[in-house]
Amino acid sequence: MVHETLAATNAIVTLDVALPGIVWGWIITMNMWAKSIGTGIIFITFFLLKKYPEQTGFIRFPSVAISIVFIHIFLFFTVIDLHQMFRFWHIFFYPHLTSAITIGAWMATGFVGLLLAMAYAIYMKKDEAMYDKYLGWAMLLAIPVTLYTAGLMAESTARELWQMPTESAQMILAALLAGSATMILLGGNKFSDAVKKDLALILGLSAAAAFILYMSELIFGGMKAEEVAATLAFVKGGEYTAMFWIGQVMAFLVPMALVCVSLKNKSYYLLKIAAVSALVGLWVSKHVWLVIPQLLNMS
Amino acid sequence: MQLGFLVDLHLCMGCKGCEIACKVENEVPLSTWRLRVKYVDVGTFPETKRTFTPLRCNHCANAPCERICPVSALHYLENGIVNIDKERCIGCAGCVMACPYGAIYIDPQTQTADKCTYCAHRVASSMMPSCVVACPVEANIFGDLDDPMSSISKYIQSHQGNVQVRKVEKGTDPHHFYVGGGNVQLNPLASFRGEGHNLFNNLKHLPIGGH
Repeated sequence: MVHETLAATNAIVTLDVALPGIVWGWIITMNMWAKSIGTGIIFITFFLLKKYPEQTGFIRFPSVAISIVFIHIFLFFTVIDLHQMFRFWHIFFYPHLTSAITIGAWMATGFVGLLLAMAYAIYMKKDEAMYDKYLGWAMLLAIPVTLYTAGLMAESTARELWQMPTESAQMILAALLAGSATMILLGGNKFSDAVKKDLALILGLSAAAAFILYMSELIFGGMKAEEVAATLAFVKGGEYTAMFWIGQVMAFLVPMALVCVSLKNKSYYLLKIAAVSALVGLWVSKHVWLVIPQLLNMS
Repeated sequence: MQLGFLVDLHLCMGCKGCEIACKVENEVPLSTWRLRVKYVDVGTFPETKRTFTPLRCNHCANAPCERICPVSALHYLENGIVNIDKERCIGCAGCVMACPYGAIYIDPQTQTADKCTYCAHRVASSMMPSCVVACPVEANIFGDLDDPMSSISKYIQSHQGNVQVRKVEKGTDPHHFYVGGGNVQLNPLASFRGEGHNLFNNLKHLPIGGH
């Protein structure tokens, strides 16, 4: 590895431009976090209405309302992050179809249209069959809407840490984590024990899978590429170490532990704490993973 | 036609004439650079050496910035130059994130992406890029890579085995070559970078009137 020659060469940059700093910061973290909730709750709603149609019918309107709110939070932060936000319409009139941003914008627009149709069907028409028909299409469209950010990160060629296979898995897991956590908070005590158990399992298993992926990258990522090793140094004793572990503990470890305890004790209260911890921790985890590749000097 | 650039690092003496010519020609705002020369000091006193590396857009054949741009603001010209349409750019900074060479920045005045265009406007008028004209030692060599008789093609031919590009592993197929470079010049991980050695760091306005 080339950085190991530093002691021999004693090569020091003595004059250069300033480092560009963090270009995609907390606004993009908000974007990803809100999108996870907005699409995740649709996944969970689809699952619950298929498996427990009698017991979970009441979630139809609140879940689509929450999805609309969080997808619009996602869109709001997407637009305000643009340096020329009033040119946002260029994406629709000058689309460049190799860009994940373009594909994502089009997909998200279609998704919002379906959500509004679902809200109309259940709130204005009181037509559950129509709602369920739209829900199937919304669930399908939620998959690429969830994944396009992974594509965008993969297209960021400069940031070696972000690889499509891992990021796409992380995006889906984040949506399941956020969706189940939101549904746990939304349902109150109206859900039956069987529904609560399923939600707890989705929360716990998605947290476990996401944690395994992060740990795999942390331990093995640097073995394949020097840039990844240099990036991960920021969370291995570097300036983002504490924040990284706070995120991992809150998003994944605490929910996993509380899910286990709550399943044993049938405590819905603990499950709610797990849900809040997962939602807060997810923001922190996403933020650290977004920021650290940007700390590396590209030239 | 495929325009390309080559810098002979044996010849570059770090005068920064190219930087200034670029700044003036393209009206590049304070604290931003389309082209800059990086200094890296190597060795331990008294055995030390200073290296100079001009860094600019590599005008890749497989440009990640062009691919990620959602509105085709970054686009190819027929001569291979990766150009930018600042009127179309929405400032999403996707290109800044995608460029493995750190060659793109957000222009603080227009709030759009900007980068070296090989002085496309001058090239269109059959003139050389301003940095080529300004270089006192002709370290910058510019021309058509498809023409075997062009100066850049001849230079590459006569320096076979010593011609490199930056970050070849990214698969970007850059059209910017270096002769005489090593890891220290071309790989940012091969040198230590402490903060405080920056050129006009974060300077937004020139102090005028002795303040």
